[in-house]
Amino acid sequence: MLPHRAWGIALAAILTAGAGWSVAEPAQPNAPPILLSRQLAEARDLRVGEIVHLSTDSTGENPRPFRVAGVYEPVPDPFRLTTRRLEARFHLPDLIEFSADPHDPLAAETVTRINVALEQPDAAREFARQLEGRVPGIAVRSTDRSRTGSDPFVVLNRFHTAIAAVTVIGSAAFLLALMVMRSEERRETAGILRLIGFSRPRILLEILVEGLLVALAGSVAGVVIALAVEGLLNRFFQWHYDTALVFVRVTPGIAVKCIAISVPLGVLAGLVASWTLLRRGIMSLLHR
Amino acid sequence: MRPFSFAWRSLTRQPARAVLGIAGIAVVGALLFDMLLLSRGLVVSFRDLLEGVGFDVRVTADQFVPSRGPMISDGTAVLNRLRALDEAEEVLALRFGRAWATDGERRVSMDLIGVDGNPRKTWTVIEGSRLPAYDPAAPPAILINRAVASRLGLSPGDTLPLRGDCDSRVTALPPVDFQVVGIIAFQFEARGGRSTVTTLPGYVKACDPPNREAMTLFMIASTVEAGPDSVVRAVEHVVPDLHAFTNQEFVDRLQVTDFSYFRQISFVLTTITLFFAFLLIATLLTVSVNRRLGEIAALRALGFRKKRIVADLLWESALLVGAGGLLGLPLGGLLALYLDEILRQMPGIPIGLHFFAWEPRAAITYVLLLALAGLLAAAYPVYLAARLPIAATMRREIV
Repeated sequence: MLPHRAWGIALAAILTAGAGWSVAEPAQPNAPPILLSRQLAEARDLRVGEIVHLSTDSTGENPRPFRVAGVYEPVPDPFRLTTRRLEARFHLPDLIEFSADPHDPLAAETVTRINVALEQPDAAREFARQLEGRVPGIAVRSTDRSRTGSDPFVVLNRFHTAIAAVTVIGSAAFLLALMVMRSEERRETAGILRLIGFSRPRILLEILVEGLLVALAGSVAGVVIALAVEGLLNRFFQWHYDTALVFVRVTPGIAVKCIAISVPLGVLAGLVASWTLLRRGIMSLLHR
Repeated sequence: MRPFSFAWRSLTRQPARAVLGIAGIAVVGALLFDMLLLSRGLVVSFRDLLEGVGFDVRVTADQFVPSRGPMISDGTAVLNRLRALDEAEEVLALRFGRAWATDGERRVSMDLIGVDGNPRKTWTVIEGSRLPAYDPAAPPAILINRAVASRLGLSPGDTLPLRGDCDSRVTALPPVDFQVVGIIAFQFEARGGRSTVTTLPGYVKACDPPNREAMTLFMIASTVEAGPDSVVRAVEHVVPDLHAFTNQEFVDRLQVTDFSYFRQISFVLTTITLFFAFLLIATLLTVSVNRRLGEIAALRALGFRKKRIVADLLWESALLVGAGGLLGLPLGGLLALYLDEILRQMPGIPIGLHFFAWEPRAAITYVLLLALAGLLAAAYPVYLAARLPIAATMRREIV
């Protein structure tokens, strides 16, 4: 992981030293290799093998040549969603040599961050605590994010859950209205069935099974539509933000949760609408 | 009987269906209204916050958001040049950094802001007094916000030992004793955020930065005669290396960058909600018409013209959508308060910033969109009713 300060310098250099870009250069085999982000390569029309000149000065003074060794896709970062990922990656010694402050005696020894992969990842918190105690002045953090109430993802999750809940309430009202109309349509049918000997529970069971089948079919159709829309939404946002970040994902867990909510809701709406009908007497059902 | 009265009777004849339909439209309408409020809520709210501070132009080293970009190296010289501008009524210089105090064994970090100038409404003194001029013979004065005061148990008159942590160098500076002179509330204070303000010399004393002249940001209040655009032009003339922008330009930039996610989300949710509303209203009206085909055929047989039937159905749709839409406004308002409270839990959001902000344009757009949805939703049932064969329908439905 490269030092953030050096990243910033390199990024600033790339962004501001417009005059520092030079692509039609003779081969410079000694030029240190760098990697460019896809976005930067596209923005500046750069290709692998080309030589670019970078400077830490916004005026472009003292540019140094670097060879584009490759183009990479930056790891999607939701916290940097609105930032254009114009980045370059260096070998650490090259970056230090390029960007170190000559007046700072510790410049060659300074990095911003060190990433550590543990043999036992579960011990991350304990490792962080011990290391912080042994090396004063540093901050050691586990990458395991504790999802507190103010975590942005927790907040967004709560927001989307609230939207979904309101949508369910609205559609439940419509569903009930439709079921009421539907049960009115079948009033005479229900009356005839009662007349020929079908009991209320028997008719109710038929309504229940019918409602269950319709609710299941509707829920599955809803999940299929969600899967189709997922692709459209992801493509739209990925195009808009020029990122590989996945914005919408319908997981099996989410699909099961949706079906688990919508099926009972559909069945309940049918039952409630039909119950008011079946409570009436046979003659009332037959308009007599 | 006029079409309106006819439609009214059709609805009230089946109160359960009407009430449920109106309730459903009200809930969906509330959601639609909220998405319209969200689409520009941040922009409207942030603009109000910016204008509430009392400065209308900002000057930074680059076009990054203030506090995230590089410093202005020769800050003192730039400050003098800006204060000499005829177009500038007031100039405030700010330098952002970090500091920490200890609460027993624990380290308590906070923002440290060094200022030079009249802050206007950048913060409000709740307790104590304003920041006095720097006195080299006395401990530097400091203003703290409520979060710092409650965390460290401080009041005006207390001493706050602070160590600067203002740049990326590893330093071992001794603590500097600051005199707490007041407790303040910042306009842009984040929930739970700990912030302190001192004079620039006080900041330098705490942080001992390599460049003592550097500044992060200048805020300028334009004169009434000049206005912010004139100030920007004047600043670009005297300090062409720096970046000056008005409040509106700042808001426009954030709308494209930091605020764009919520704009996009609101656009997507508005589209989905509108489609949802259209689908539900169309289904409700279509099922309703299908149930009354016999009745419609009978009316046609009695002499009601197609236009009259169409008018009846359109009025019925208008009554349903109108009543639901009207209920949707206050419901949407309440829902917006709840959703706003959820989103404001995000870290770093200023207390005064809202995601859902009222604008008349949102209500107008809401009415137009819902009316359009109602009109389009009525198209198919109206088509059904207008095209049905009278005799065949009567034979099938009535006889």
